[in-house]
Amino acid sequence: MGDSQPRRIEERLARELGLALILLALALVQVTLLTGPSGFSVPLLLVLALVRALVGAGTSEPVRGLMRGLWWAFYGGLALDLLSALPLGSHAVAQLLAVAVVGLVARRFAVERPLVPLLAVAAGTVIYEVTLYLIVLPVDSDWQAYALVVVLPSLLLALIPTLPVVAIVHWLTRTNR
Amino acid sequence: MRDFLDDRPLKLRRERPGDRGYWRVILLAIGLVLAGSLLIVLDRQGVITPARLSAREALQPLMGWLMARRIELETWWATPRDVVAMQNRIAELEAENARLTGEVLRLEQARVENIFLRQQLSITRSYPWKVLGAEVMARAPEAARRVLTIARGTEDGVQVGMAVIGQQPGGPPALVGVVETVGARTADVLMITDISSQLSVRLLQPDGAPLGLMQGQWQRGSRLRVELIDRNAALRVGDHVVTAGLSGTLNLPLDLAAMPAAVPIGSIETVQQEGQRQIGEIRPFVDPDQVRYVWVILSQDE
Repeated sequence: MGDSQPRRIEERLARELGLALILLALALVQVTLLTGPSGFSVPLLLVLALVRALVGAGTSEPVRGLMRGLWWAFYGGLALDLLSALPLGSHAVAQLLAVAVVGLVARRFAVERPLVPLLAVAAGTVIYEVTLYLIVLPVDSDWQAYALVVVLPSLLLALIPTLPVVAIVHWLTRTNR
Repeated sequence: MRDFLDDRPLKLRRERPGDRGYWRVILLAIGLVLAGSLLIVLDRQGVITPARLSAREALQPLMGWLMARRIELETWWATPRDVVAMQNRIAELEAENARLTGEVLRLEQARVENIFLRQQLSITRSYPWKVLGAEVMARAPEAARRVLTIARGTEDGVQVGMAVIGQQPGGPPALVGVVETVGARTADVLMITDISSQLSVRLLQPDGAPLGLMQGQWQRGSRLRVELIDRNAALRVGDHVVTAGLSGTLNLPLDLAAMPAAVPIGSIETVQQEGQRQIGEIRPFVDPDQVRYVWVILSQDE
């Protein structure tokens, strides 16, 4: 009942700002602590946004859950853009597309089954990396090499935190309900 | 119409309650993607680039702090915690340390030897002496006698009465003592500052080189003093004092016959009048207490 009532605008703004700051802190962690010597980093924010959308889609309010996932993708992407050398909005668009496509396709599957989030994150990572490729690199670049050198390692790295993140987001969603 | 629909009754899938609003998800996604795309375009055109760079600069200290923690973490992770591995590592480092210490000592020894050899070369080029380098091994521990022991003896051609010189940076080679006793491989050198050391010297003056007698004064709280033999001559501050080499010149059967003439000693620092006598305090060119390496003058070219 509380959720269906219109919240006061200040409260919502504060909540969004808090979420954006938390995601900015996590982006800092991803860029500094979770980056390997070869330049790869665990795409923590992408996994978080994907899992948030999947978990949200499995609740009694799937539309709202998916929309929250989209906002997480947008805030997290902007935070990554601030810390990276790409134009502002690049990571945000890439994450949004990944979350939107994967969230809408995978909304009917039960996220409690381990294979579902793993496959969803794998598909989302591919969409994310391909989008970044299209934004950043010239069209005539060697996409096969990009797939082998960038997409595949990123996909494997994204799978590492997926299941723990699912558990944490599940727990957070239940606690906030 | 019975027919088609009745035979195959059309079953509409029942929509889940939440399925009705997915267009909102798609609209939001499109809206946010458009917003993101607009940001990309604006950034590429440089409109919002300064703001982005300012925001990144504001975050730099935090990033630096996190990177420092990461390096600490990596260092901690890379540190061996296995006791056996640590012991092996320590043993390796100790062996390497021992090898490097030996190498440093050898290089240091070579450096010092090089310095002394250069000095010796300079002396033999400037003076008509044949010299033999010798390391100072020890000094007499007692204050009663000013003696130093050098690592050369009769096996090297050292004899009693030979002059022993030293050199300090920036100064000329100068007398530090006279060989007093000689062993096969070592020799004791009586320093010129010892009170029992007496030598005939000459004072180099513009109008002559009067003879004098020099005596050590260390036990009396001073260094060297000289007294002129010719009472008519005058001592002057700044006069240089060199050995006279009288025993050798006169071919006297004395130990000091091996002492060559014109070995620098020092210069007159002060002059005192004691009745009819003039006493000069000599400041030696080389402080015998400071030398670590000396040269024995074996012979002098005629």
